[in-house]
Amino acid sequence: MYLRLAFRNIFRNRLRSLITLAAIAFGCISLTIAGGFIEDTFDQMRESYIRSFLGHMQISKVGYFEKGAARPFDYMIDEPEKALGAIRSNPSVASATPRIEFSGLLSTGDTTISLIAQGVNPKWENEISTFVEIDAGENLSEGDAYSIVLGKGLAEALAAKPGDPLILVANTRSGAINALDVEAKGVFHTSSKAFDDRSIRIPIDTAQKLLQTKDIQTIAVLLDDTGKTDLVKGELETAFAHNGLDLEIKPWYEMADFYTKTVDLYRRQFFVLKLIIGIVVVLSVFNTMNMSILERVGEIGTLMALGTKRMGVISLFLLEGLILGVIGGIIGLVGGYLLASLISWVGIPMPPPPGATIYWTAKIKIVPSVLAFNFGLAVIASVVSSCYPALKASRLEIADALRHNI
Amino acid sequence: MEVVKINGACKTFRVDRNEVKALNGIDLSINAGEFLAIVGPSGSGKSTLLNLIGCIERPTSGTILFEGSDVTRLSEDELAEIRSAKLGFIFQTFNLLPVLTVRENVEYPLHLRKTAKDERDKKTLAILKEVGLEAHASHKPSELSGGQRQRVAIARALVGAPSIVLADEPTANLDLKTGEDILKLMKELNRKHRTTFVFSTHDPKIMKLADRILELRDGEIAGKQCT
Ligand SMILES: Nc1ncnc2c1ncn2[C@@H]1O[C@H](COP(=O)(O)OP(=O)(O)OP(=O)(O)O)[C@@H](O)[C@H]1O
Ligand SMILES: [Mg+2]
Repeated sequence: MYLRLAFRNIFRNRLRSLITLAAIAFGCISLTIAGGFIEDTFDQMRESYIRSFLGHMQISKVGYFEKGAARPFDYMIDEPEKALGAIRSNPSVASATPRIEFSGLLSTGDTTISLIAQGVNPKWENEISTFVEIDAGENLSEGDAYSIVLGKGLAEALAAKPGDPLILVANTRSGAINALDVEAKGVFHTSSKAFDDRSIRIPIDTAQKLLQTKDIQTIAVLLDDTGKTDLVKGELETAFAHNGLDLEIKPWYEMADFYTKTVDLYRRQFFVLKLIIGIVVVLSVFNTMNMSILERVGEIGTLMALGTKRMGVISLFLLEGLILGVIGGIIGLVGGYLLASLISWVGIPMPPPPGATIYWTAKIKIVPSVLAFNFGLAVIASVVSSCYPALKASRLEIADALRHNI
Repeated sequence: MEVVKINGACKTFRVDRNEVKALNGIDLSINAGEFLAIVGPSGSGKSTLLNLIGCIERPTSGTILFEGSDVTRLSEDELAEIRSAKLGFIFQTFNLLPVLTVRENVEYPLHLRKTAKDERDKKTLAILKEVGLEAHASHKPSELSGGQRQRVAIARALVGAPSIVLADEPTANLDLKTGEDILKLMKELNRKHRTTFVFSTHDPKIMKLADRILELRDGEIAGKQCT
């Protein structure tokens, strides 16, 4: 009976209820869109980091990540074939590629610039670095030797074009200085401007010649699914232990410091947004319930005179708040879902994120748990904001309330 | 048998710093099956007395015995139980719930008592027939005339077979003819069901239908007379 009363009372002042429902639904939709947008941005940012250069994990000699920065050549993988074999035998590994990273100088003859060089296997590297895009010339390919590709910023600083001869200078593993004549084969950019400003890529065989070593430094591993990172990490650790390989694994999230900090920051900002939208819903429902109680003082008097208890009056109004919340929440969910799908279908053209160079298309990610949270927020906010008006209604003096009937 | 017995009931209202004595030492017994009119000039305390009998307000002093037990010290919820179980109300302004149909309005007191559906339907239809509105069962109150609305209110007051029905100026919002019809209907139901009725009125024509008239003046009983 209360349910019937509550329902009909809601549809009594249609315009007002409609506005309230719109406010609730609007709140729900904004949270879905804003939340989905942020989640999608996180996803794309994460994938871009992983696929630009990190890979899902990097594998190196034990101690390299901790102490390798100062003395990189002390922590080299001396059995690269065996390590690669062990890694590739894991079914979730899509690709694995060896790398050597070293610093050096690059000179055109007129200009000399210090740089970080990545010695890579062109064939395998291109499977991992799918976000590396070539602006001019060509990327490294299998069989290349004495060729390099330059980051966009670096190429601009050197005024180097594809085909230009360059001199690459570096310390060998034993500490001597060595130089190689190389040819600029192409210019690339990634999503990280800082990376593009000081990096080159060079075939790993050429790098090994320059550094006078047969060893490699790290192995970048790409999986078929980012979600499996921790699982595969565990499996590989077991495999290494079995094969007597003295290797350690660093997953992408420990390396992508900028990503984790950005995610943290945005999540905090999003919390503020949730709070604001929650307040809007609360105020809107509060206003509606308050007005409808003011209009219905006489009726409340009648209900109580007939023997309705104060708890009954409270339940009636809480029920009205609940129904508003549920209906508004459902409209919000469906509306949010449809709008999110529509926006994703169209796509939002986005400028490059901070420190990056690539324009990208944002979508709205639909996360079921986020949808459920938004719905819950709408319902709870509606019920909570009905509490005070409901209590106020139940506190009316019957005789006074009855006098409001005209 | 006495349905209600009031001993020395006083009711004072505080308005700012002034005290208004609405009722001043009322002694009154209402017998089962009575058809009692409370009359008196405006402000004499008719509504206040009906509210005391109806367990809507508590007296400032004095006692009210309802079917032999003192109701002056009961809690709000206990009073609500008594109102729902033993009392019926008819209001000057009809006070039907506008969102409910005629039938649902009449059914409401039975819902409060958690009566089973079969019985609810049976009682509701029976009383609607008695007030002559079975054809209007699914109408909304807004679609009815004043007289029809008051009939619905009468049906709602009587559907639960209360010990006593209280009606504060039930005809004041109706024209003379309709008012008389309403009173006649009440009288007929009073005879048929032996339900006690207490109503207040200004109208001399309506008073005449009462078994007994109680006249209030400045919160006191001015004199009793029988017709
Ligand atoms: N809630 C209240 N607060 C203050 N004074 C009140 C209140 N209720 C009634 N009174 C006062 O008590 C007195 C009796 O009022 P009551 O409503 O019982 O009169 P009444 O006989 O029903 O009058 P009417 O014929 O105009 O309905 C009046 O002086 C009124 O002003
Ligand atoms: Mg009155």
